[in-house]
Amino acid sequence: MVKTNYGTVGAAVTVEHVSRAYGDAVVLDDVSFAVEPGELVALTGPSGSGKTTLLQIIGSLDRPTRGRVWVDGVSVGELARPAEFRRSAVGFVFQLHYLLSALTAQENVELPLVAAHVPRRERTERALALLEGVGLSGRARSRPSELSGGERQRVAIARALAGNPRLILADEPTGALDSTASQKVWELLSDACATRGATVIVASHDLTLVEHADRALNLFDGRMVPPPQKQPASEGIA
Amino acid sequence: MSTLSQTFANLAGRPGRTFLTALGTALGIATIVALLAVVGAVRHSAGELVNLGPSELGLFQADAADPTTSILSTGLIARLDRTPGIAGATPLSLLIGELPKEPGSIVFGAGPGGFLTGGLVYSSGRALRSGLEIVLGDTLARQLHLATGQSLTIGHRRLRVVGIYHNGIAYQDAGAFVPLATAQAITGRPGETTTIVVKLSPATHPATMRRTIAKDFPGITIISDAQQANRAGVSGQLISQFGLVIVVLALVIGGIGVANTMLMAVIERRSEFALLSAVGFSGPQIAGRVLVESTLTTIIGAAIGLLFGVIGAQLLVDVLGARTFVSPQVTAWDLGRGLLVGVLLGVLGGLYPAWRAAHVSPARVLAQQ
Repeated sequence: MVKTNYGTVGAAVTVEHVSRAYGDAVVLDDVSFAVEPGELVALTGPSGSGKTTLLQIIGSLDRPTRGRVWVDGVSVGELARPAEFRRSAVGFVFQLHYLLSALTAQENVELPLVAAHVPRRERTERALALLEGVGLSGRARSRPSELSGGERQRVAIARALAGNPRLILADEPTGALDSTASQKVWELLSDACATRGATVIVASHDLTLVEHADRALNLFDGRMVPPPQKQPASEGIA
Repeated sequence: MSTLSQTFANLAGRPGRTFLTALGTALGIATIVALLAVVGAVRHSAGELVNLGPSELGLFQADAADPTTSILSTGLIARLDRTPGIAGATPLSLLIGELPKEPGSIVFGAGPGGFLTGGLVYSSGRALRSGLEIVLGDTLARQLHLATGQSLTIGHRRLRVVGIYHNGIAYQDAGAFVPLATAQAITGRPGETTTIVVKLSPATHPATMRRTIAKDFPGITIISDAQQANRAGVSGQLISQFGLVIVVLALVIGGIGVANTMLMAVIERRSEFALLSAVGFSGPQIAGRVLVESTLTTIIGAAIGLLFGVIGAQLLVDVLGARTFVSPQVTAWDLGRGLLVGVLLGVLGGLYPAWRAAHVSPARVLAQQ
């Protein structure tokens, strides 16, 4: 890939010499990589290695102490309206689903569309279609307390997809799920890449999940280190 | 799902907090409405204590804290009588709090032959003739269960009830008249009166006479209607300011209360605001949601408070023992002010919490979780 002043040519995400420190504590140290459009990348590493911080910097929730990040040629650290960027370009999935308890599943999915002032009818149609896409068409009126952990995370994925983002950042999305629910989540994220052409970066400390990704990046103590070897495709989850 | 419907969902989802916040606001608004109603009624009543006809002027001591505390020499009456354009001048003393069983009732001391007592219509008995007599308004007579021929003690003086009158003026019907000399003896101020009421000749213009009296009788304030009576005394002005102070105090105290509650709610819901920020809500959008929520809560509280206020005004008057001459009137303006205060409480009390919510760091909050 060719590097320019607007990131790497042809890359969906370019991370260039990014460091992040909180006082004396260095969380990220000179991290650089690029992700191609439509790629599903696993960001691995043990707890505390800086995965969450890196995702937050890419998603404009945080700013690097040093270095730059481009998403589709946009320098994330220099955004005048980061909220606008988040609602139009990025979808977040967290380990904890962060669904608002007072709202139904459908209303939770609609949240990014409310922020974007999408008309009510269109919001409803898109939310219901997304819920159907994650296999929850019958649970649109359910509140989070009425859903299982796996169902909640699927609602969170539907919410992340609501704004048709080019980039999905998932931080330990299966961390609180059993193996069946985890498999479903991975299927949905893979599907987002395959059918929507979205770029997906998934942070996980579980190295066995690398097999679901196109590529793995590995962080250790805030630095990029060689990734674990990818398992043969025949052993992965379909 | 609009911001408003989500706000309703949020409020319904936390019924305890919503109820307590609304209740706090309701009590504040109820206090405001009740006090404003009573203050308005007190001002109204204070101004009417000297009921003046269209061609009558009331003379009071200029520096009196309140028209009811004015002290004038009865010696002025002779001079006033000699003034061209004045048909007559008569003294009127006000004895307040002299009836232990009905402390809100007023006893008027007036010259038996004066034009003030001439307008009383007697349903039983007769008019005043001598010193140790009293005539009662029919309302007071009912309250004290007194009839003509019985006696009443005022200021250690046993007075015989010689007549029961009715003239349609609430505080006079709830009061009594005694001869001026008796009133002076009770107050220990012979030769003095509270006010002097001047009746003008038919051809005399009140404004002209006001100027004449002001020039010839320095140190006297002249009033010709109830509103002037309110303005004439320091107490009247204080009462006027009292309403404003109540509203300002309610805004400050209520605003702090709402701000505190909303701030707690924001802290409790930091992850919610962090999530909203993460999914693309801007700072102003998040702040707006908090402001809508706080305003909606206080409007609900205000609606309840207005109802409580109407009930509370009457209760307050009863507790003060002033129902005989104060009739609280809750006007549309009072209700409007109550509602306005509710909205202001929500906006002012929600400003800082809204700012805090808009500045929640999603990176920090979501990472901590």
